[in-house]
Amino acid sequence: MQETKKKQVLLVGNPNVGKSTVFNTLCNKKQKTGNYAGVTVASHSGQYTYKDEEVEVVDLPGSYSIYPSSEDEAIFSKFLIDEQKNYAGVVYILEALSLKRGLLLFQQIQDLGVPMILVVNQIDQAERRGVDIDIKKFSETLGITIIQTNAKEQIGIDEIREAVFSNQFVKTDTLSFETPNEHKDFLQKFASHKGIDNPYKAWIALSSEGELGKIESIKDLLAGSDTKSMVPKRLQVQETVRRYQKVDKILADVITKKPQFKELLTEKLDKVLVHKFWGYVVFMFILLIIFQSVFFLAEYPMNWIDDFFAWLSAFSGEHLPEGPVNSLISNGIIPGLGGIMVFAPQIGILLYFLYLLEDSGYMARVIFLMDRFLRPFGLNGKSIVPLVSGTACAIPAVISTRNIENVRERLLTILVTPFMTCSARLPVYSIIIGLIISDDTFLGIKYKALVLMGMYLLGFVVALLSSAILKRFIKNQGKTYLVMDLPAYKKPLFGYDFKLVLGKVWDFITGAGKIIFIVSIIIWFLSYFGPQQKPGEMVAANVELDHSYLAKMGKAIEPAIAPLGYDWKMGVGIITSFVAREVFVGTMSTLYSLDSDAPEMKVIDKMRNDVKPDGGKVFNFATGVSVLLFYAFAMQCVSTLAVVYRETKSWRWTAFQVVMMTGLAYFVSMFAYQILK
Amino acid sequence: MKTLKDKDLHKLSGFPKNIMGKILGYDNDHLKMPNKIIEMGLLPETVFRILYQAPFSGPMYVEFGDEKSRIALREEEGNYIIVEELN
Repeated sequence: MQETKKKQVLLVGNPNVGKSTVFNTLCNKKQKTGNYAGVTVASHSGQYTYKDEEVEVVDLPGSYSIYPSSEDEAIFSKFLIDEQKNYAGVVYILEALSLKRGLLLFQQIQDLGVPMILVVNQIDQAERRGVDIDIKKFSETLGITIIQTNAKEQIGIDEIREAVFSNQFVKTDTLSFETPNEHKDFLQKFASHKGIDNPYKAWIALSSEGELGKIESIKDLLAGSDTKSMVPKRLQVQETVRRYQKVDKILADVITKKPQFKELLTEKLDKVLVHKFWGYVVFMFILLIIFQSVFFLAEYPMNWIDDFFAWLSAFSGEHLPEGPVNSLISNGIIPGLGGIMVFAPQIGILLYFLYLLEDSGYMARVIFLMDRFLRPFGLNGKSIVPLVSGTACAIPAVISTRNIENVRERLLTILVTPFMTCSARLPVYSIIIGLIISDDTFLGIKYKALVLMGMYLLGFVVALLSSAILKRFIKNQGKTYLVMDLPAYKKPLFGYDFKLVLGKVWDFITGAGKIIFIVSIIIWFLSYFGPQQKPGEMVAANVELDHSYLAKMGKAIEPAIAPLGYDWKMGVGIITSFVAREVFVGTMSTLYSLDSDAPEMKVIDKMRNDVKPDGGKVFNFATGVSVLLFYAFAMQCVSTLAVVYRETKSWRWTAFQVVMMTGLAYFVSMFAYQILK
Repeated sequence: MKTLKDKDLHKLSGFPKNIMGKILGYDNDHLKMPNKIIEMGLLPETVFRILYQAPFSGPMYVEFGDEKSRIALREEEGNYIIVEELN
C-alpha cells in the first residue's frame, strides 16, 4: 500500500517580491484561493506533482519581520512557528533588487531552525541596475541552496521543484544573530526553565512579550536580573540592528556594483503618479475608467444574460404544466436568479480592475496620495483599499483591512466599509431608479445615471462622516503610523488575476443563487397557503395573496414600516433582504408574479402599477427615495456580518454595526418619506 | 523653498527635497518609534533622498540605501529620525 502524504512547503518572503508570480507558475493547475478560509488558515494554497510526488504549496502573507505589526503579519508568524512540525520546509523568496531587506526575515526564520531553500527572483532587474550578484559565493556564505528565477519567464521554476523533490532544504544549527552579551545569562536560564531547546525561540518569546511563544510565570525568573534593559521593544531593535550589520557584511562580499545606472520605469512613472497635482488627476481618471467600464462595458454581457433568462422564463412558462408551480418557477425562481446573474459582469469587471491595480504596485501610490485626506476621519491611507473594494463587495474589503497596523483605524475601516455601495445594492437601485426616475437627460447624461452616481457618492460620504463621528467614541490604543514600502511597478498578472476574479464571481453567483432559490420557495409556500377560511380546514391552499400567511406576516410588521412609506410587500422584501440585499429582487419577482392579474407583464411594470388601498401608487417618488436610502444605509448582509465578527473577534462591535447602520437607515428613510410625501 | 539653514533640518521631516542626506540615528524617544522604520532598513549611516511629499504635509516619499528602496512615511515618523546633509 502506498500512503502518499502530501509534502507541505511554505512560500515566504517580503511583500512585493514576486511571491504570487512564483506561486502561480509553480502550481499553475491546481489552486485554491481561500481568502475566506479563516484566520488560522493561510490565504492561498496550491498543488503540483513533480516526479510522482504531490506537493502542497502554502502562500503565506508577505512580511518584513518575524515580529508582527499588523494582523496580516501576525497570521504569518503564528503559522510559521506553530505549524513547524507539519511542513517540510520554507522556500524563501528574495528579490534581487532588495536583498538587504529580505535577508532580515530570512535570517530570523533560519534561526528558528526551519529547513529552507532560497530563491533569488528577478536577477535580470538587478543586472539592469548594474548590480552583479555572485550567487555561488552567496550560497556558500549562507550555507544554503540558492535557485535563481525569473518567475515571469518561467525560468528556474523546475529547479525549485527539483530542489523540493530532492529535499535540498537546509537547516542551520548556528545562530546568525548573536544575542547581546548582557542578556546571555538570563536567556539561558529562561530557555532551560521553559525547556526551549532553540535559543532564538527563547529570545523571540521574550522580545515579543509572549506573543510568539508562551512565557507565563517568568516574573520569578526576572528577579535579580537587569530588567530595565529587557524591554521587549528594545530587544527587537537590538536584534534588527545587529542583523542588518551582519547582512551588510555578507552583501559586501557578494555584490559588485558597476557604474552603469539606468533610470528604472518606476522612477519615471512616479514623477507623474505621485505628483502633487497630476497624481490626483490620474487617480480620479482611473476611477472614472473603472466605473465607466462597470456600467458601459458590462452592458453587453448583461443584455445577453437578461435575454437568456427572459427566454428561459418564457420557455418554462410554456412547457411546464399550468398551475401555481409553473408560476413559481417561471415567474419567481428564474427571474430571481436572472436578477442576480445579470450583475456578475459588473462585479467581475470591478474586481478585475482592483486586482490589477494592486498587482501593478499602483495601490501603494494611492495610499500615499490619500493618507493625509483620510486621517481627519480617523482612517489611514491604507483604508482607501477596503473602501474602494467595498464598491464590489464588503466581504473581501473587510478582510483587506488586515494590513492596517493601528487597531482603531482598522476597526473604524471595518465598521464603515459596508456603507460603500456594494454590487448587491445595484439590483435594488436599478429597479427602484427605473421606477421613480424619468428617462430624460440632463446635458446629455441620463437622470438615471446621475442618480446612481449620486448613490455611490452618498455611500462614500456617509462612510467618511460616520467614521469621523465614531472615532470620538473609540479609544486609540497604540500609535497610528504609516511606514510603507513603495514597490517597483510591474506588469500585472492578467491571467492569474482573471482566474481569481472568475472564482470570486462564481462564489457570488452560487452563494446568492442558493439563497434566492430557497427564499423564493419559502415565500411561495407562505403565499400559496393561508390561515383557515372555512371551518374544518387545517390550512387554506391556493388563497388570494392578500389572505396568505405571507400577507399576515407582512401586515404584522406594517405599522413599523408604514412611517417609511412601505406596504406589506415591501416589508417582506426588506425582511428577506436581511439575508442579502440582492434577495429583494427575487422576493419582488416572486411576490408580484403570484399576484397574477396580468401574468404576461414584467415584474417592474407590475410594481409600477401596484396601488395602495387608497388608490395611490405603492412606488411613488417618496417611497422610492425612502427605499433607496434604506438600502444605502442598512446592514443587510449576513455574510458581511460573519466576516466582521471574525475580523473584530467581538460580538459587541458586530451588533453595534447592525444597530448603527440599520438605525440610521430607518430614520433617514423615514425623514425622507415624511418630507417628500 | 527650504534652505539648509532651517533649524529643524536635523530631523528627516523638514529636510529639503532632492538633496542627499545621511541618517545619523534616532530621537531619544525612539522606543515609541514604530519598529517598522528600522525593519524596513532606515538604519544609521543609510544615505537617502526625499523625492516627493503629498500635499498638506502628507506622507514623504523617501528613496534610500544602496538598493534605492522606496518608502512612504509620515512627518510624525520622520521626526524620530536624525539626519545630516551628505557632503
